[in-house]
Amino acid sequence: MSRARFLLQAAIAFSMLLVEAPILWAQTREVRIADSKGDWGYPNPWKHYPRGPGYVRMSWVYDTLVWKDENGIVPALGSSWQYDRERMAFVFEIVPNAKWHDGRPLTPDDVAFTVAYFKKHPYGWVVLDHVERAEATGPHQVTFFLKEPYAPFLEDVGGTMPILPRHVWEKVSDPKAYAEPDAYLGSGPFVFKDFDVAKGTYLYEAFPDYYRGRPKVDRLVYIKASDPIAALSSGQADLASIEPEMRPLLEQRGMTVIADKAGWVKKLMINHRLPPFQDRRFRQALAHAISQQEIIQKAHRGRGRPASYGLLSADHDHYNPDTPKYPHDPGKARQILESLGFQAGPDGFYLKDGKPLKVELLASSITVAGQPTSDRDGEVIRQQLESAGIWVELRNMEQATADARVRNWEFQLAISGHGGIMGDPKILNEMISEAYAAGSVNSARFQANKELLDLLDAQMKEMDPAKRKAMVHRIQEIFAQELPSICLYYPETLSAYNPSKGIRWFYTKGGISKGIPIPQNKLSLLR
Amino acid sequence: MTWGSGRSREWLKDLFTFGLAALLLVCLSYALPRLMPGDFVTAMFASSHVTLSQEQESEARAYFQKEEGFPGYLLRLLSLDWGRSYALGQPVSSLIFQALPWTLLLAGGAHLLASLLGFVTGVEAAWRRNSPRERALVGLATVLEGVPEMALAAVLLALLAFQLHWLPSAGAQTPYAEFSFGERLADTARHLALPLATLVLAYFPGNFLLARNSMVMVLGEEFILTARAKGLPDWRVRYHHAARNALLPVVTRFGLRLAFMVTGVVVVETIFSYPGLGTLLFNAIRSRDLPLIQGVVLFSSMAVLAVNMGLEILYARIDPRARNAH
Amino acid sequence: MHIEVKTVLGKDKWFLSGASLATILALLSLLGPHAVPFDPQDMSFEPFARPSWEHPLGVNDAGQDILSELVHALGNSLCFGVFVGALGLLLGVGLGLAAGWFGGMAGRVIMSSADVFMAIPSVMVLILVAALLMPSATVLALVLVGLSWSTTAKAVRAQSLSLRGQLHVRASAHMGGSALYVISRHLIPEMFPLYLIGFVAKARMAIFMEASLAFLGLFDPGRKSLGGMIQYALRYYYMDVWWNWLAPAVACLSLAIMAAGFLAISLEKVLDPRLRSRWG
Repeated sequence: MSRARFLLQAAIAFSMLLVEAPILWAQTREVRIADSKGDWGYPNPWKHYPRGPGYVRMSWVYDTLVWKDENGIVPALGSSWQYDRERMAFVFEIVPNAKWHDGRPLTPDDVAFTVAYFKKHPYGWVVLDHVERAEATGPHQVTFFLKEPYAPFLEDVGGTMPILPRHVWEKVSDPKAYAEPDAYLGSGPFVFKDFDVAKGTYLYEAFPDYYRGRPKVDRLVYIKASDPIAALSSGQADLASIEPEMRPLLEQRGMTVIADKAGWVKKLMINHRLPPFQDRRFRQALAHAISQQEIIQKAHRGRGRPASYGLLSADHDHYNPDTPKYPHDPGKARQILESLGFQAGPDGFYLKDGKPLKVELLASSITVAGQPTSDRDGEVIRQQLESAGIWVELRNMEQATADARVRNWEFQLAISGHGGIMGDPKILNEMISEAYAAGSVNSARFQANKELLDLLDAQMKEMDPAKRKAMVHRIQEIFAQELPSICLYYPETLSAYNPSKGIRWFYTKGGISKGIPIPQNKLSLLR
Repeated sequence: MTWGSGRSREWLKDLFTFGLAALLLVCLSYALPRLMPGDFVTAMFASSHVTLSQEQESEARAYFQKEEGFPGYLLRLLSLDWGRSYALGQPVSSLIFQALPWTLLLAGGAHLLASLLGFVTGVEAAWRRNSPRERALVGLATVLEGVPEMALAAVLLALLAFQLHWLPSAGAQTPYAEFSFGERLADTARHLALPLATLVLAYFPGNFLLARNSMVMVLGEEFILTARAKGLPDWRVRYHHAARNALLPVVTRFGLRLAFMVTGVVVVETIFSYPGLGTLLFNAIRSRDLPLIQGVVLFSSMAVLAVNMGLEILYARIDPRARNAH
Repeated sequence: MHIEVKTVLGKDKWFLSGASLATILALLSLLGPHAVPFDPQDMSFEPFARPSWEHPLGVNDAGQDILSELVHALGNSLCFGVFVGALGLLLGVGLGLAAGWFGGMAGRVIMSSADVFMAIPSVMVLILVAALLMPSATVLALVLVGLSWSTTAKAVRAQSLSLRGQLHVRASAHMGGSALYVISRHLIPEMFPLYLIGFVAKARMAIFMEASLAFLGLFDPGRKSLGGMIQYALRYYYMDVWWNWLAPAVACLSLAIMAAGFLAISLEKVLDPRLRSRWG
């Protein structure tokens, strides 16, 4: 027995050693960002996963012509630009001292090549249908010739399209399969070093010859951590997205908490091709039956804001304050249903022609930062609709399954959500019209209102900001009247960071690139 | 001992059974992912920031989803080409081999530790049968046997990571830390401690009870009495004579438990964000990464089959009685 | 023999504790739903409210009464276990008897497929089915039944082969008893101990599997389950939910599995005379 006791003591001593082992931070300056999912694909245009975090991981390596900070668009590789109305052309001056990670200079030729290459091998984030071609028109100048006026150009192409090195890609015919080391050669402030698929971690190192000077830190690391409090408190991470309830504790521990504007929206998708959802009045009845405030209260403990039925929030420059509203009013919902020929049955649920009004509601799990965690929205909406006499069968399913059913119109109601609503008003086109987003499950794909479709097309070509704004106002109005999908709420989006690293993180105005509501803006790490 | 004709027929029968099971699994791995609703392109792009046009969507679909038919699939498997992951573009085999070491470290380590610990304590307990301490230990093990991994993990995580902050709650290493070899080792051990402890605590009681019970039975047999009568030292009788015979059931259990190596640790991997095949499979299912799902499922089921077949053959050699054991 | 088994079991402390645990849990899950005042789906309370007279275990993140949730979840888990145990047993006994009694080609096919099924890692198949098809709890239970019959079938076959050789059974067959008569009068009752062990082992495994799948989020999240409760409670680890939310769910799950474990241990050692000597 004494031997056993000895072994036990040895084991305890050893484990104490492990517990006490201090984490010795290395001399290099580095920042660590926590992410609960970890794996977002390799950081190049063809390999990153097409959600926000994937794009952000690429954005450290590749620069764009313009970028955004807290206040809006700022110069990046394009030091200045102007729109030539006569020739329908955008002219960019390219910074003269930008270099690729292998030391070669970045030239207007690379920009022109990028446009041609993306036209041949499309990159989902950048739509180049309106661009005729791009051409180097001077030693440091490149001109984009448009086919027709394109209002979102600056944000949509200038601020999103990663500039590719011609000398790498001109010899590549299948970019999706290309996996040589130079597949990640960019001109951004950081050089991609490693991605560990199994662990879900990324390593970037500072690019010393960056044209705006060496970045503030030597290394940038993404770690996989499901627990932001522990990760931040123990110093394992310097930045993490957090839940609203974590705020007091983290602030008490000296973290800085930042909040985003309404960049993400939760929506109720409606299959408006099916009866009775075909009828606009029925959809309006649904809107009256649903209490946005109650969903926020019950499923999110009050953390969030009711959404505008016109998609864009009051934070957006183009928000229309006169968008129709549907206050919570089950009585009014019942009144509309009765006017549509529904009769209250014995159990309180409505009947039509003897058949009960029974709808299926799909709920899946999707949150702002893309991590799959289920919430209770579906359960609240089910109760609300049932108290207005609509019998609801709630089906919770895995996201990919729910997506596929919505995609193929094999649903009645579905809960879903998306970001990008602080960016260019082009988001309205994508979220309303089939022509702009056939494959998207977040788009209402609503073709029934001619005026709406015409306005959507027109706003894309209107280069006069004031005129465009008027159009966008009208679009929100019609959208809210038609209600092909019902906007529910804007969740509270928070991140926390450790200020002792001397880096200030912020939420980008309008979101990074096309409206990614994540505070990992590369400008935070530039001098 | 030579291989008789009867025995080799038995051997062939085993091979046939395992072959059939393997074929069934291959069929399953081919059919199930194709039955599932949703496909890779929809899962990947449908609710992303990217809004694909009709044309782009069908192009993407054509690029990723080349249907090859079952014979083609079988042929490819046999030629050890397991395809490329849709999402990552890497060969499936390389992804599996990146995750495998972590699974081996965590699950394999836990099994090995729990078996060794269970065996030694079981043998010692049986030797001191009916002492109060032994009774308490048996009781404790029986109770512990009823606590599922999930519950153990939750309790350990709550106590040691969240309340006391002694150990890290997630991950396998501090990623990309500039550590010396020793520091890295300590770091890895610190990260391994909680998930490993969970699994060892979960597997230990079963091994302990099994070893103890087999040992108690062996101790009653005549040759032990003879050995003791001959005046051999206690430990020699205990380990050299008795425990050897109690080893077989523990080894059998080890083999059976190995079957749960990949999938049994999914829950623990998930709770502790620990890398491994379970996590790989889980992520692949989420993004409908067909080749990767097939690869992981096939690899782990085949590994289980191979191990079990190996053990089956081994028993027949070690102990002819094991033939009729089940 | 039956009387002897009863008295021995009656004195066995593992059996007594296992049986009383199982009874308490069963009563809790049967009577509980009528005793608790709230519907577990009712979300009308203040989220994260601390335990009080009205809500003895407090309220969860969605404003649901945790006690009601717990009672319903326990019922669901036990139901799942009993269902899989019973059905798996039925299938196993049926196929085992058929193989043992009729033998021949049919018997060989049944036994070979039992071998094949035993070789298949059932966890893998279950995770795959649950994740890909998202079926209802009943379907998943049936899949589990389909994967778990083989051990019982093998044991029953071996036992029925040896029983068939015994004198009284042979006599019964000689005296003109039909196959059905001999099976139902002799084979089925005399293998009673095997059923109990098989049932308890399967139920235990099923409860464990159900909890794991629910924990991984592979079960319908609207269905209350202990694994799902643990998953949700862990997600709010930063709130003060340890004792009123996580601990009861963890305890219930452990006790359910423990009860089945105790029963299995005592049944094995009482009913299998070879093992009796092993236990003190």
